[in-house]
Amino acid sequence: MASSRIQATLRQLSKTYKKKSRFDIGIASELPAAYKKFWREWKVLKPAAVHFVPQEGKWKRDELTGETMPIQNVPIPLKHPAELHEGIWGGEAVIKGFQKRDRNTRRVPHYWVPVLKRTVVRSEVLNTHLSVTVTDRTIQLINDHYGFDHYLLKTPACDLVSMLALKLKKQILTELMNGCPRYANNPDKQKEIYEEYRTYLTSYTPEEIEWYGLSWYEALTKVAKQKEANKPIPLKNVYRKNLVEKLKEAGLEEGSSSAEEMSSATSWLSKMNPFGKKDEA
Amino acid sequence: MLGISSFLVKTFNNGHNVMLQQARNTFVLKRRFPPSLHKKGGRVPKMRARHFIYDLVEDTNVVKKAEVKVILKQFVSGVGNAGDVLTLRPSIAYKEYLMPGIAVYASPENLANNKIKDINTEKGDDFSSPYVQRTMGCLSRLVLQITMSKQVPWTLEPWHIRASFRKTGFFVPEYAIEMPPVAIKGPDLSLQEKEFYVTVTINKTEKVNVRCRIHHWATGLDRLPWDEFHWKKPLEALIPEQATILEAMPLPE
Repeated sequence: MASSRIQATLRQLSKTYKKKSRFDIGIASELPAAYKKFWREWKVLKPAAVHFVPQEGKWKRDELTGETMPIQNVPIPLKHPAELHEGIWGGEAVIKGFQKRDRNTRRVPHYWVPVLKRTVVRSEVLNTHLSVTVTDRTIQLINDHYGFDHYLLKTPACDLVSMLALKLKKQILTELMNGCPRYANNPDKQKEIYEEYRTYLTSYTPEEIEWYGLSWYEALTKVAKQKEANKPIPLKNVYRKNLVEKLKEAGLEEGSSSAEEMSSATSWLSKMNPFGKKDEA
Repeated sequence: MLGISSFLVKTFNNGHNVMLQQARNTFVLKRRFPPSLHKKGGRVPKMRARHFIYDLVEDTNVVKKAEVKVILKQFVSGVGNAGDVLTLRPSIAYKEYLMPGIAVYASPENLANNKIKDINTEKGDDFSSPYVQRTMGCLSRLVLQITMSKQVPWTLEPWHIRASFRKTGFFVPEYAIEMPPVAIKGPDLSLQEKEFYVTVTINKTEKVNVRCRIHHWATGLDRLPWDEFHWKKPLEALIPEQATILEAMPLPE
């Protein structure tokens, strides 16, 4: 009886107990929903399958036995080296694993590293050419999306992966939000570009754009800075200031007479010299 | 079967070429030993070393890539007019057309608006063929030698010019040749030191002037002595009205 009750409470507790996520600890709890949305797009969403062919459907039947089995695609784990964030690799990454070259030989460690190339990409919105490290897949994706800006704006953060791409995306979004100021000398072109890309703005609010493309550390720093700027002034300081002002005003009204009184009141004190000789005092 | 395949793998792996080739590709991989099934919404079971043994399915870098369609923004010699849709290999399209800004992607929106075409036709930048500029260049640089008889009297006619063009490798129909305003008659050895131009119309649209010189031809003792680099020497204009234009045309150096 008792044991079943304990089990029930445990079950209840396990339902109510929620493990603390990274957004519940410390200053991170003050991160806005805009950043949480970006984080979800960046880290929680599952990226597109680049290095493996996912099986389609929910179930499959074993041809031999006729057994129905669920399809579970376990993605191949990817390594994201620091260099990835200096280029735009289009979802490709380094794979660490083994090769088994023969049935009777031991497996051999192997790294599959994408082929990197340095090329130029053109951003219409930013009105610049950029020299970046890319893979063939990136160029293919840019071609498929009919342009670099379209590629960045259409692709979710989990597929862009690299910090450089995210920062560029943020810059493009801010540029669009401000109405393409880089084309200020050519209003026709400015309007044309804005009309072409304005559809992407609908999925973001200005606050979301502000918090887009920030790394965890950068977001925390931003929160800390905002907190520092909005720090409430202690009331004692406010009251002291008010009092000083009031006193000053009062002093001015009374004029120089009070100052004379003060000086007369302290006259005998000024004459005193505690460090002088006895007869002088 | 297995024995044969393993033997093949062994023999191929003896050479280092296989590995070198594999080291520079992008890969689609497959697990040789897929992990066991897990509970719906549950955790993936702990991976063993064998779950990280991968087999190569495909190298996307080696596969031939699909071609890309682009729309030209301006006339490109030897390629096409503004508004022409080209189908190119992706690397060429990207490096030589899209990045320099000569072309734009043939996206549905770009295909729908004929803005690019209209602007250029207004300007009159279009040519009747992608190769017209090249032909014009060749013809304007040409010094056409018209070989005429030194003994039999003649009057210069378009078919003489056509034949001379054919000798130099240009096939020009007679209706495309516009003769000089003055009738040229010979044999007259003073013509040997003169030059004039004819106007050739390419595709009935583009006009180009071609410098012509008459050479008197005979055999035996009547043959004129060989003049070295005669095509480089500047000569006097036969028709005074043509003098300024002939001076402006470049001579081969």
